Amino acid sequence: MNRLDGRTALVTGGRQGIGRAIVDAFIHEGADVATCGRAGRPGDLPPTIGWHKTDMASADNIEDLRLEMLDRFGGLDILVNNAGIQIEKTILDTSDEDWDQLMGVNAKGVFMACRAMIPIMKRGGVIINIGSISGNVADPGLALYNASKAFVHGLTRSIAVDHGPKIRCNAICPGWIMTDMADAAFAVADHPATAKTDTLARHPVGRFGQPEDIAAMAVWLASDDAAFATGQCYTVDGGVTAASPLNPGLF
Amino acid sequence: MSAVRPDYLKGRVAVVTGGCGGIGRAICQRFHAEGATVYATDIAKPDFGDTPIHFVHHDVSQEDGARNVMNQVRDDQGKLDILVNAAGIEAEKTIEDTSLDEWNHSFAINVNGTFLTSKHALPLMRAAGGGSIINFGSYDGFIADPSLAVYCATKGAVHALTKAMACDHGPEGIRVNAVCPGYVDTPMLRSFFGDSGDIESLQQAVRDVHPLRTYGQPQDIANLVNWLAGDEARYASGQLWVIDGGLSAQAQQMRL
Repeated sequence: MNRLDGRTALVTGGRQGIGRAIVDAFIHEGADVATCGRAGRPGDLPPTIGWHKTDMASADNIEDLRLEMLDRFGGLDILVNNAGIQIEKTILDTSDEDWDQLMGVNAKGVFMACRAMIPIMKRGGVIINIGSISGNVADPGLALYNASKAFVHGLTRSIAVDHGPKIRCNAICPGWIMTDMADAAFAVADHPATAKTDTLARHPVGRFGQPEDIAAMAVWLASDDAAFATGQCYTVDGGVTAASPLNPGLF
Repeated sequence: MSAVRPDYLKGRVAVVTGGCGGIGRAICQRFHAEGATVYATDIAKPDFGDTPIHFVHHDVSQEDGARNVMNQVRDDQGKLDILVNAAGIEAEKTIEDTSLDEWNHSFAINVNGTFLTSKHALPLMRAAGGGSIINFGSYDGFIADPSLAVYCATKGAVHALTKAMACDHGPEGIRVNAVCPGYVDTPMLRSFFGDSGDIESLQQAVRDVHPLRTYGQPQDIANLVNWLAGDEARYASGQLWVIDGGLSAQAQQMRL
């Protein structure tokens, strides 16, 4: 007996990183999974998994995605809003185009996906949004990204309140997960290797996160074990935000 | 740096526990400058120079101590308007290195002290027709500094107690808030820095981690306590007021 047997799931942004780990974990738990991304189908995606070329900032693309879910699954049980982008800038360096691009995916895309999919969750459903610890505390030089994740946290609570009991909606707030996105953040450091070592020392668990760490939480939230969990933002960050930013042991 | 108004607390009677400590002392002086009649309580007498601040010996962990303080205030003034529970200690240890006696001692002062002093202050606040209690939480009640386990736990307890007291006594016009300082330049902080050798470079490193590039002075905390004590804060109750130079607004400060 797998925890997601008989469930249908859409995971946005499933090409790589956290999204792909959630796709793989959902398959392992028996779910029927579709995923999407801006480019063509990844070569290593198992053939049973649906792939839909989708720009999450496009209303037309989201409507196509909705129709494809109806066609493929006859509805939807689980939606994971994982697709997201980050732009490494303060607001002074951020253009209107940057705003449209980032907020289009991270904020409007999540809104549009929820608006489109809730009505086709005919048996009730589960929405899992990927927020971030950066939505609770600020990472320097990631202003719009931080703000977009705070939006996700707020929307998560609103959906839980407005659409319960039919829909359960929670967010996962990952910390530093070793993905291409984290490597991009380290790449702008003066000394990327030192930065990584220093960051590691601030994690009580003594390691960075892996995409599978977030996928494990997503599986739990999607399953009936989480039947009483809704409207919450669950942090999975190896303890990094439980500690003070000021760690005298590191000076 | 602070705009003292000699009438803001005119006619008010205030008790400040831990009045000898770095922050407590700054609060006593500020309250006096704002027109209040001030009772500093502590286990050792502070030196306030010529400033007319009353002193009452007070071990906050003892219930008789709280009774004694409030008896004297009642006999002298007949009422109490403001109570600041500033007495506190920290123990720099993990739980593994902390004995039960040390654990109980921290709770006796930081938590029991807040409980007992507030409990015995309530009748005098009713006599005043209401009042303002200001507890000392800490940003460490939200996120942890390493090797301060029992301190973090006591401050988390004070945060919850603050909300409970605000609920219970709000209908009587008694407001209860907690201030939650970050790093403030006090003897307690200097003890935390310890004998790390080059304290100057350590202090600079600590400043650099703060968005405001400084850590606080006792007067910075007294500014907030003063506001909470008076009528400008008449709608403020049950809240935890973090004041930390922006330290806890940010993510972990890696050297990037």
